[in-house]
Amino acid sequence: MPVFARLLAWVVLIPPVAAWAGDTLRLVPGDLTLDGARSMHRLLAVETSDADTAVVTGDLTATAHFTSENPDVAIVGPDGTVTPVSDGTAMITARVGDRTAAAKVKVRNAAATPSFSFRNEVLPVLTRLGCNMGACHGSAAGKNGFRLTLRGYGPELDYDVLTRQALGRRVRPTAPAESLMLLKSTGALDHGGGARLDPASPEYRVLIGWIAEGCPAPSAADVAVERVEAVPARLRLTPGQSQQLLVRVHYADGRILDVTRWAKFESTDIGVAKVDEHGKVAVVGPGAGAISIWFSSHVDLVNLVVPSSAPAESSVFAASPRNNRIDDLNLARLESLGIPPSPPADDSSFLRRAYLGSTGTLPPAAEVARFANDASPGKREALIDRLLESSEYIDYWAYKWSDVLLVSSRKLAPTSMWSFYRFVRESVKANLPWDEFARQVITAKGSTLANGAANYYVLHRDPIDLTESTSVAFLGLSLTCARCHNHPMEKWTQDQYYGLANLFSRVRLKDGTGANGSVVAGDVVVAVAAEGDIVHPRRGIVMAPQPLDAEPLPLEARGDRRIAFADWLADTSNPYFDRAIVNRVWANFFGRGLIDPEDDLRATNPATDPALLEWLVDDFRAHKRDVKHLIRTIMASAAYQRSSEPLTANAQDQKFLSHYPIKRLPAEVLLDAIGRVTEVPTAFAGFPEGWRSLQLPDSRIESNFLDAFGRPAREAVCSCERSDEPSVSQALHLVNGNTLNEKLRDEKGVVARLVREGEEDQMVIETLFASALARLPTSDEAGQLLPALAEATHGLDGDAATAARRQAIEDLYWAILTSKEFLFDH
Amino acid sequence: MFRLDARKPVHFCDGLTRRDFLHAGSIGALGLSLPGLQAAKATGRLKDDRELNCIMLFLVGGPSQLDTWDMKPNAPQEIRGPFQPISTSVPGLQISELFPRMATQMDKVALVRTLYHTATAVHDTGHQMMQTGRLFSAGLEYPHMGCVTSFLKGSRGDAPSHVLIPRPIGNTGGGMPHGQNAGYLGKTYDPFVLNADPSTPDFKVPDLLPPEYITAVRESRRRKFRETIDQSVKAFEASPDARLLDANFQQAYAIMSSQSTREAFDLTLEPDAVRDRYGRTKFGQSCLMARRLIERGVRFVTVNQFETVFNELTWDSHGSAPFTSIADYPTVIAPNFDNAYTSLIEDLHSRGLLENTMIIAFGEFGRTPKINPAGGRDHHPNCWTALLAGGPIKGGTVVGASDEIGYAPKDRPVTPAEVAATVFHAMGFDLNTDLPGPQSRPIPLVDRGVEPIYELF
Repeated sequence: MPVFARLLAWVVLIPPVAAWAGDTLRLVPGDLTLDGARSMHRLLAVETSDADTAVVTGDLTATAHFTSENPDVAIVGPDGTVTPVSDGTAMITARVGDRTAAAKVKVRNAAATPSFSFRNEVLPVLTRLGCNMGACHGSAAGKNGFRLTLRGYGPELDYDVLTRQALGRRVRPTAPAESLMLLKSTGALDHGGGARLDPASPEYRVLIGWIAEGCPAPSAADVAVERVEAVPARLRLTPGQSQQLLVRVHYADGRILDVTRWAKFESTDIGVAKVDEHGKVAVVGPGAGAISIWFSSHVDLVNLVVPSSAPAESSVFAASPRNNRIDDLNLARLESLGIPPSPPADDSSFLRRAYLGSTGTLPPAAEVARFANDASPGKREALIDRLLESSEYIDYWAYKWSDVLLVSSRKLAPTSMWSFYRFVRESVKANLPWDEFARQVITAKGSTLANGAANYYVLHRDPIDLTESTSVAFLGLSLTCARCHNHPMEKWTQDQYYGLANLFSRVRLKDGTGANGSVVAGDVVVAVAAEGDIVHPRRGIVMAPQPLDAEPLPLEARGDRRIAFADWLADTSNPYFDRAIVNRVWANFFGRGLIDPEDDLRATNPATDPALLEWLVDDFRAHKRDVKHLIRTIMASAAYQRSSEPLTANAQDQKFLSHYPIKRLPAEVLLDAIGRVTEVPTAFAGFPEGWRSLQLPDSRIESNFLDAFGRPAREAVCSCERSDEPSVSQALHLVNGNTLNEKLRDEKGVVARLVREGEEDQMVIETLFASALARLPTSDEAGQLLPALAEATHGLDGDAATAARRQAIEDLYWAILTSKEFLFDH
Repeated sequence: MFRLDARKPVHFCDGLTRRDFLHAGSIGALGLSLPGLQAAKATGRLKDDRELNCIMLFLVGGPSQLDTWDMKPNAPQEIRGPFQPISTSVPGLQISELFPRMATQMDKVALVRTLYHTATAVHDTGHQMMQTGRLFSAGLEYPHMGCVTSFLKGSRGDAPSHVLIPRPIGNTGGGMPHGQNAGYLGKTYDPFVLNADPSTPDFKVPDLLPPEYITAVRESRRRKFRETIDQSVKAFEASPDARLLDANFQQAYAIMSSQSTREAFDLTLEPDAVRDRYGRTKFGQSCLMARRLIERGVRFVTVNQFETVFNELTWDSHGSAPFTSIADYPTVIAPNFDNAYTSLIEDLHSRGLLENTMIIAFGEFGRTPKINPAGGRDHHPNCWTALLAGGPIKGGTVVGASDEIGYAPKDRPVTPAEVAATVFHAMGFDLNTDLPGPQSRPIPLVDRGVEPIYELF
């Protein structure tokens, strides 16, 4: 064959690889140790980023050619799966075009065939096949008289059911292939769930192998799963690309096994990527997302970045202002996604935003001009400092923490409710470090009237409620699923749940008695008993009291177990406590947390910017959990001070703070703002005139307006109780309802005052704009509005003209107070 | 006299017109063979240019199949329960004695007796599946069928296209969404929610009309002022919440300005005898309002019989407080349903509206066949019954049979997804239509392969 023809053939045969020549080809996870005859492990041929070799940018496994340098030790299949042959070492090489990558594979105990483990092999197979899922035998009632625990949370129960029930027909060690569990699941016998198991599959080999060995039982000696790891851990891909994932389990004895076949995969953002049941990721669109992996009650995450198809120049990010470390991290995140930041917000936008964000109030009209005319360079920082020392700041944050702690007269007598509220308010006023605040709540004792924090134990009366509410309030974790079984998609087990619950099992309540034996209304005494444990309902035993992922307390230890819990909260080894509050505070300023929802910190719900969250947590700890410092840091950042006006190139971004995310004012803030601008505060029964809704201690004070605009009921600890979304009913209320309309025509209101004082139209408009929008009207706006006001009195005089003018001004006020610019924080 | 200009219905944010959208959807249908559909068309039960309405009655709590529409008189006492079957207007078809009025109308009603789902047996999952056809996962919330209707068909004139009465489903214990809003379609397509009890003597729709001192001249001046202000800030164009607020105001004005919509909510215009016939209960008067809304152009009405399952008599008959017992069925719950449901069918029929109005009624699951020690029955998603009537539905049909104790379907099991497909199909939507999911990802109306229950047509 002539040379050129050979060349041509070679060119034609090159697979269409999307990679650039020169990109690094790597094998992941890298060097392997295979231990035992059954210990196969797959290798993936991937490309990695030049900038960061831990970031995988493409999957070439399908086009790679795998070879083993030493097939007597280990062989490799065309998909990269390595299987042991004999003890020794072999290099496995993958070739893609002219690039190669290699991994060293060490084989140990190649002849050893350890017995099958019920816990570590059989149950994962049953879980993978779906036998024990909620819809099948894992349902609380089982299916057709055969009940397994949901996704294998109860190995002992499952073992008993499989080997002893149904007259022992489910397994037949003397004739394994005739075991009912195999005949049914392969479809050889009629099976309601259909044929789910292929007799040629590895799953079948595990099940039949375990039966043939006489069904070894789960025992306390089973090697424990230390962690589960997904590889590659970090991906940077483009839409249309796909990537296979591997899941490895690390056992306590040092062995690492490839369990990809038996893991569960889920995408956290299906707008960014999908993942199939085999762990193959398909990228859908730009953004950042993650794939969560579950195996045997352990989870891991794969982070995925999909940059914009037309990324902004790096000079854009370099030129964007940076006020503190938040900005370095935020701009790095934006740059990795190629999303350009908007320019800084102007002074009036910042002024209004800062007031609303930190105090829930509008800036006074007089402040608007003063701030605009202030030429000092540090005026924004000075404003932040001033706001953080205001009494409105205390009201606002006391209200917020009262939401979290469910301060309400629903279950508390009015005196107790006030006592609880006062505790919260005083804590904010003193800027109590967050761990100290939590400690005072968690370890509260004594009279609930004397110690307001103790009302926490009146609201949550049993260890179950305490476990679940405390977890959401202070850890941002919902543990409710684990009450009845291991959390099906999280790492929390039922054992952990009852270990945690047992920390609260000795709290006792006594109705308070006065000096002469009379019961004091609302007074309850919270005390701690010397004994008492909560029993794990499935296992019928008492779990040692144990904070999540921490050392258990000895069951027999005396003393208040809650103190150990409070100690653990404040321990820096606790990954949840500080993240939870930092994320809550962040969500206050940006409308959504770095983790969203703000109180859902489960491992499989990643932050939009993990590095930023981590830094905020470190900084919070370094400053003794000073909430005010955290707030000041956030407000001082250029990210917070960015314009809400999007650029064409960042208009699609709703998550990464390329522009300030606008949000509707919360119900209470809105009602107070309307009261302030109209100069007619809302009256609340039983409270003095001028009392703002943000000063209400109780969510049960009647207000149709607050309910219609999404005030939380404070019945369950959940950020989902509050709704800041607009609705038609809200629009109808603003248009026709009595709240706004009555305030506008009130004789004591702003419109009556302006007319009475004979203010010129120009002055009226300026007052209105400054008080409601924190700015002056533009000349365009004045040019349209002034003639319209003048027109209202056209051809009228005397009282008729005055009345007509007043109505026109009312209408202008109405228009401003229902405009988007007023209703939104922007 | 108060008068406002009619407003246009809400448009799609992406500038797509409805016609474009339906056209795009119908291309997907080319080359597909739908024998059942063809057959249904051939029998004349389905017309191509239908404008079908739908009323969904949600029987919150989950009625017991064994005590209502799938009785097992030959089962042991602890399973068959205390009630007797009675004959109906359809020879051979029996239902519970709890529904004497409904029995006279069964020639217009079809039963699906083999509905089941396999998700967790809590109320919320059933609410999701029965109202959207799907179980929610991965943070994706699917739209209610009525919201899909709003999205695909828009409103008819000034009438909102989907109205939810009297109130949304609240706490039913699971803490999950109930599938009663527009989900990923966005809040623009959420239903208009009444949020009031139409059976109360002083009932009026909250804030439907302006106070008398706001004249039409002032109203129009207010809107002009507001438009001037709203032009100023550009930040809002990219914000979904801000666009939603605009849509809300437009919709509010459309509702206010339409005399016919206002009258739809005014039950005092009905003769007392009619109101009595529906029952002077929240559900009874809501069903009457549903009829008035349909008569005035609303396409989809969702009526929740109850809003919670706690501390109230509902279908959630566990037997002990705070729940209901089976003994409460004949006194309150069943007559409440029988009167409202039957009157609705009778009225729509006599007004010629049943032909283009489908009424679907179901709970979120059935109840355990064996009566528990508290005298109740517990959650049982393995098998329950759905009622369908009106529109193209063939009355008197019974689809599927449960086993001898009503524990599981014996034949023809039907999923909530198939019920949704049936509704969409009846409404004339191409099941291959893709809806725009998060970030414009196409999400099929129903999962591929899910078919309508063709036996009903």
